[in-house]
Order: sequence, then C-alpha cells, then structure tokens
Amino acid sequence: MVVALKKEQMLDIAEDAVDFALKKGADEAEAFAYQGLTTTVVIERGQIARSTRIVDRGLGIRAIIKKAIGFSYTNVLRSKAAVEETILKALSSAKASKPDEEWRGLPAKKQLKSVENTYDHKIVELHSEDLVKAASLMLDAAEKVDKRVFPVEGGVGASYLSRAIANSNGVAAFDHGTIIECSLATLGQEAGEVTPICFEFNVERKYAIDPEWVGKEAARLAVSALKAKKIETKSTNVIFSQFALQDLLYFTLINAVKAYYVQRDQSAFKGKIGEKVASENVTIHDDGLFQGGIRTWEFDGEGVPQQKTLVIERGVLRNFLYDNYTAKKEGKESTGNATRAGYLSTPNVEATNFHMISGKKSPEELIGEVDDGLLVYSLQGAHSSNPASGEFSVVATPAWKIENGKIAYATRGTMLAGNIFQLLKNISELANNERKIGQLVAPWVLVENVRVIGK
Amino acid sequence: MKDILSKAVNVAVQKYGAEYAEVRGQKLFKTMLTLKEGRAEAAKQGIENGAALRVLVNGAWGFASVGTFDVETLTMAVSDACKMAKAASSKLKKPIKLISTKPIEDKVILKPRKDPSKISIEDKINTTLTMNSKILGYDNRVKSCTIDYLDLTGTNYFINNEGSYIEQDKLYVWSRILATAKEGDIFTFSREEIGSTSGYEVFDVETPEIVGERVAKRAVEQLKAKPPKGGTFPVILGPNVVGVFVHEAFGHLAEADLTLSGSVLLDKLGKKIASNLVTFYDDGTVEGAFGSFKYDDEGIQAQKTLLVKDGVVVGLMHNRETAQKFNTKPTGNMRAEDFRVEPIIRMRNTFMEPKDHSFEELIEDVKFGYYFKSFRGGQANLDGTFQVGIQEAYEIVKGELGEPVRNASISGNTLETLFKVDAVGKDFELWPGRCGKRQTVFVCDGGPHVRVKEVLVGGSA
Repeated sequence: MVVALKKEQMLDIAEDAVDFALKKGADEAEAFAYQGLTTTVVIERGQIARSTRIVDRGLGIRAIIKKAIGFSYTNVLRSKAAVEETILKALSSAKASKPDEEWRGLPAKKQLKSVENTYDHKIVELHSEDLVKAASLMLDAAEKVDKRVFPVEGGVGASYLSRAIANSNGVAAFDHGTIIECSLATLGQEAGEVTPICFEFNVERKYAIDPEWVGKEAARLAVSALKAKKIETKSTNVIFSQFALQDLLYFTLINAVKAYYVQRDQSAFKGKIGEKVASENVTIHDDGLFQGGIRTWEFDGEGVPQQKTLVIERGVLRNFLYDNYTAKKEGKESTGNATRAGYLSTPNVEATNFHMISGKKSPEELIGEVDDGLLVYSLQGAHSSNPASGEFSVVATPAWKIENGKIAYATRGTMLAGNIFQLLKNISELANNERKIGQLVAPWVLVENVRVIGK
Repeated sequence: MKDILSKAVNVAVQKYGAEYAEVRGQKLFKTMLTLKEGRAEAAKQGIENGAALRVLVNGAWGFASVGTFDVETLTMAVSDACKMAKAASSKLKKPIKLISTKPIEDKVILKPRKDPSKISIEDKINTTLTMNSKILGYDNRVKSCTIDYLDLTGTNYFINNEGSYIEQDKLYVWSRILATAKEGDIFTFSREEIGSTSGYEVFDVETPEIVGERVAKRAVEQLKAKPPKGGTFPVILGPNVVGVFVHEAFGHLAEADLTLSGSVLLDKLGKKIASNLVTFYDDGTVEGAFGSFKYDDEGIQAQKTLLVKDGVVVGLMHNRETAQKFNTKPTGNMRAEDFRVEPIIRMRNTFMEPKDHSFEELIEDVKFGYYFKSFRGGQANLDGTFQVGIQEAYEIVKGELGEPVRNASISGNTLETLFKVDAVGKDFELWPGRCGKRQTVFVCDGGPHVRVKEVLVGGSA
C-alpha cells in the first residue's frame, strides 16, 4: 500500500493548523486531518475487470470569530503555504458569516476509551493480487450455484483510514482503523424473466470476510427470486431482513432520535422521553464503542469520546443523540455522535452503530411462526419516506411469500405502506441472526399488521 | 499542466505497455453554506486538486487517484494503476476493448454573466437568508427550514495517449431548500432544488422569494392533505414527476453498462416498449442546464441522444467500452463525480418530448384518480420495477382537481407502465437534481404533463 502519513505527522498538521488560526485572530479553532487509502478489485458483468487505488487525504479547519463560524478544507497538504491559505479562508469565512448566538464553544478535552477490533495490520498489508484471489473465490462460488445466475457487479475492497483532531481547548487525538468488504449483486434470468438485483456482502474491521459464502448466498437469492408472482392486497405479517430494516430506519427512526431533529421540531419523538414508542421487544443502543463496529472509533468528529447510549429500552424512549452544539444548547454533554465526511465537512449529528438487541429464535423459527406473510429482503424507495412523520410507501423487492411457516414463492410488484412509528409498536419478535449493515446492527424482525399492496 | 499529465500517460504506455491511458486533472474551488432557521451553520470554502489515472493493460482496467500534481507521485500512481490492471487481468475472461474515436484538442472557457467565484460570501448568505425569511414567515406552522448552497468553479484537464487534450472550465451553482410544517401530530415536508451551469444569475429567475414561497406553501397545504387510497388508478403526472420517472424508471435501464448487466432493455433494442406517444432523450447540450457540459470525462463530446422514438427503443447511453460491444458510437455520457473516482455512464438532461394535450384535456375524462405534481424521490431496479415517492399530490374527481393528498407513491414495471401512457401534454419543464449511482452527479429531468391509464398507488388508507 501507499505510504500513509504517520500518527505524529497527522497530529502535527492538525495542531499546527489550530496554532496558526489562533495566531491569525481566531477566538477558537479546530482542525481535523483525515486520510483514506482504499484498494478495490471490481467485478463487472461476470468477470474481474478492474482494480482501483484511491488515496485521499486532507485537512478541514473550523475557525470561530465572535461566535461566527468559518470552515475551509484542502487536499493539498504538501505545501505549507497552501495549508496556511486554507486556514486564512476559514477565518475570512467566519468574518463574512453571521454570529450564532447559541454557540457555546468547542468541546473540552476528555479521557478517551480504547476500542477493540478496529484495526488489523493484515488488511494494510494486502496486495491487489490478494483481493483478486478473494474476488475470484466469490465469483466462482456464485457461478457454481446455478446457470441462471448472472453476477452483475461486486468486488472486494480494503481500506486504511486515519484521523487526527486538535482544538483550542487542548484536544489532540489520533485514531486509525481498517475496513474490508466484499459484495456481490446478482440477477436470476430465465425465459425472459429477470429478477430484481439480489445482493449479499460482508464487511469487517478485521480480516475475517467470507467471500465464498457471499458468492453462494447472492446466487441462491437470485435463483429463489425467479418465478415471482403478484399477491393480494391486505394487512399481514412481514419479516424484514437487516437490509430492509436499515433502509427504513435510516430515513425515519434514526433521524427522529437525533437532537438536531428534536430541537428543530422535526421529530415525532419530541417530548416523548420516558414514553413507550415501540414494542417491549425493542431495545436499541447507539454504541460508538461496539466491538468491531463499522462506525467504531475512539472519538467522534469533534474529538469527543464515542460512547454507548441507551436509546430505546424495552420499548421506552430513553435518550437522544447529541453532538457538542446540540448538547450544550440543553446544558447536556455530547454523546459523541458528531460525524464528518472525512475532511470535507463540518460535523453533523449521526448515529454510530445503531444496535437493536437480538431475540432468541433462529430466522427459520421466525419464518416457521408465520402462517401467512412476507419475507422482505430489500426495499426500493425508502429515501422517499416522510422523515418527520415516518410515513413510508415503498416497494418490497426482492420479497418472498410465506405460507404455513415456509417460504412459498417470490413476489413481484409488492408495495408496503404505513408509518414507521406504528410499525415499531407492532414488532412482535426478533431473531438471533444479528449482523452489521451500514449504521445498523440488528437481527431480522417480525412485524404484525403491515399494509401490503399487491394486485 | 499538459506536460505534467502527458508524462504520466507516457509512463503507462512506454514502461507498462498500456493499450490505453488517460489522466484527468482537476483544480476546483467550492463555496458552501448551510442555514438552519436562518442560522448560518458555517460558511465553508474548499480546494480540491488532484489527478485520476486510468489505464487499460492486458484488457483490464487499472485506476489510481491522488490529490496532487507532483510528477513523482503521479508517476508512482500510474505505475500502481498499471500493476493493478495486470493483477486484475489474471482472471479476465473477455478482454476489454474501446471503440476508436477521433482525438480532440480544445479549450472550453466559460464566461458566466454572474461568476459565483466573484460574488462575496456575504451576498450568498443574504440570498439564502431572504429565502429563509420568506419560508419561515409564510405561516407559523412552518417549523424548520434548511438551506444548502454550493458553488463550484475551476478547470478540468483531460489527456490520453491517443492525442486528445482538453481543458474545460467547470461551473455549478446549486441550492437545496427543505422546509417542514407541523400541526398537532401531523408533520409535512417539502423540498426544492435549484441548479445551473450558467452562473449565479439562476437566482434572478428562481428568486429567493419565488422559491421560498413554493416550498413553504407546499409544506403548509400538505397539512390538510389526506392519505391516498392504495390500489390501481388513472393518474396525471406533472413534468417534475415525469422527469424523475423517465430518469429512474427508464433512464438507468438505458445506461449501456446497466443494460449489459441484464436490465430488461437488453433484448429490446429496436423493439416497441411503450405507447406511440412516448419519445425520450438524454441531452448534454441544453444551454445552462444542470446536466450539460461540452466534453465528458472520457474526452467525448456530449450530444443529444435519442433513446426512445414513438415507443421504440432506438438508442442507449454509451461510453467507449460499451459502444465497442454494441458496435456504435459513444454518446458523451461518461462522468466522474471528481478526481477521486472513475468515470461511469451517467445521465445528463433526460426528458420526454411534449405532444398536443392541454392540462384540461388531460384531466377532463378522469372520473377518479390522482394528480402527482412533484416528487420526493425515486428508485428503479434492473428488472424494471420502479418506485417514485410523491411530495405534492391531489385527487382528481370527475375531471377536476380535488383535495390534496400526502405521502403517496407510485410503483410498477416500467415497460408495462409505458404502454399505458395514453395522452401527453404540450407543456414542458426541466428540473435540476442530483443522481446517485455510487457517485453523485448533477442532472436535469423533465417533460410535459402526462396521463397514465392506470398505475399502482401505494397508500395507507
């Protein structure tokens, strides 16, 4: 892999930037240095067709003058002059901007907790040949399953990420980590019928992916999505896989617990701390320290220690998620939920690892309990949900009809409509097959009385 | 710049025997603002300089990107790209080939009437503040207002080993406005986007007052709206919804990389897939439109591409690789979000051609149905399943517009639905937006008002 900037270099860049900003007249300053080195091998239409390496590093600076905030960034780190020019831009932006009377300062320095299973030197040492091997295993496994399966796209990617933050309150911290993932999207094709995209993947912080399983599973899904039928319109039981759940929750529930949304009257949960908002089966933590979590880091985008925050406890709403700004507004402490898009953005409130605690039953047992219902793997159109009210109207695809405790056949053209906040109250069971998808760590969930619109 | 970039190309060809090599350079400057309820969250400025190297070695692609123009680093990166292409080629079944094209040398200089890089941040803040006041002042049930603003200026450089060298100025002005309203337990949500490649003068037409009122009014009117009935109904789609439908439900299937990946259009070239009233274009040449540019990121001139004519599929959107497979010409649809990523086939300004009906004529025969005026989001699958969420809708009762309806969405199979288009309006609108296909690019979508005999409406009532 390309030589990465070391811990000391990253910290120096950030600390020097803060010093320079203060010297040039900032009341407060914060610098966030980021680097990402990513190597991928890409599968395209049934073959390994390309390999890419992306090196991205840069520095983002927040400068505060008389409560007005300026931000600037650059990816030109080699030249001191370019970095200083960027810092001056943050200052000039602050001067041009308007004061924010509710600004209560950057976060103070706090003791960080250590995190586990977030870095693996084996990932850093991988060559593109190793990734080609893994991609090839995945592809072969998929093709062996059935002739009707077409591997559309996928690949294997390995990343090394590091971040350093410094601010004028003495915060100075560095953390680094690795991520490896493999994924495959497939189609089933038979006699003029094309299935929707079927997708499987693994993502881990340690070198522990199983490309063969991903290939096999993506292919198995495509085969079972063939011979799809339309179903009747009615209210019924629906099992959501983690993909579908992540899609649905990301645009609704996860926003509803962010302090930004609550404070701005955009959350259906405003004023509902202590109230029952979900079925008793539902307990959710936002766990920024989750072992091996995709979004596990020692500190958030403002240098605040990440932590485990209880969000919903046996159906009762307990806490919202805060960054430094929203927390101080309520006289609280940040929950370590400030996220950044690398060096390119200012911090925003975002969930870390949104962990829905599993139940006891296997997924097969969960299906076995359903006399009549639907198993939904993925949703189309979840981003068009009403984020404030939680109302959604989406396509379930791929999805399978469940009859008498068994998967009967694939469905097509099936829509689901309803309200996520009602849906949370109708979760009757959770399986024990927890996995990480995006921000979500969750099992399959069984929901009663979901409106299904078919023919 | 040309010297630096051509050195990298030469290394690829001479040292590693690349069949093809290109370098894209980018020097861009961005200004961004986010206002929440009039509070300037931060005024932001950023520099993004870098180079992307793409090579074809032994029939496989290698790609590397670096945030610098330092010759030594570029040489290392191009070596990297060539070695990676070789590694990838070890498992290749069919070597990748490119259709040959004529080399182009050109310099594209933009002369905007109002260059955003010459307008002060104070002015930009004031524009967004005016919009904010209009929205929050519209009605006290409007609870929140988020305004994002972005402008991007700079130059892109393109060189390849076939003799092309292009310098092309870039300019984008974009804003997204979100408002929410609340009454009792009812929340509503309204979104608009402004986007232009001509300059800051876009705000002379889409003034803060006009856009502000449009966003706020919709959020408030939706408060009294009711949920739609679920089921199959005749619908009138407004230009904004037609645009997203053409883009999502049809356009992606006609991106040749996705067509080859098995989209339902694969065996439909030259065949009828829609009613006679349906003609679609993807056009990179609409002046000032958000999806327009002169050359794509593979050095090919953008054109107006006819996709569907009178219901028959006549074209796809191609890069040099897919054009070779179909033995046709590339259409200038290769776009990369920035230097960090590879170009892929993307849409530009995608629209349906207008016909002859007035709005009144479209609506008069509908006994009960829906008018879908503005979309919230849309998505499609390769099998032709589409979903479009609607942010502004009305009932149609006995040929007239009725009560507002909220949180509706439509779904179906693209090809089945296109045959059900039974009347097309004579008006035309093009709406700016952003499209995500692993990367984000700026586009426009549009068309006239369109009547569809029946479509599945997802509703909770």
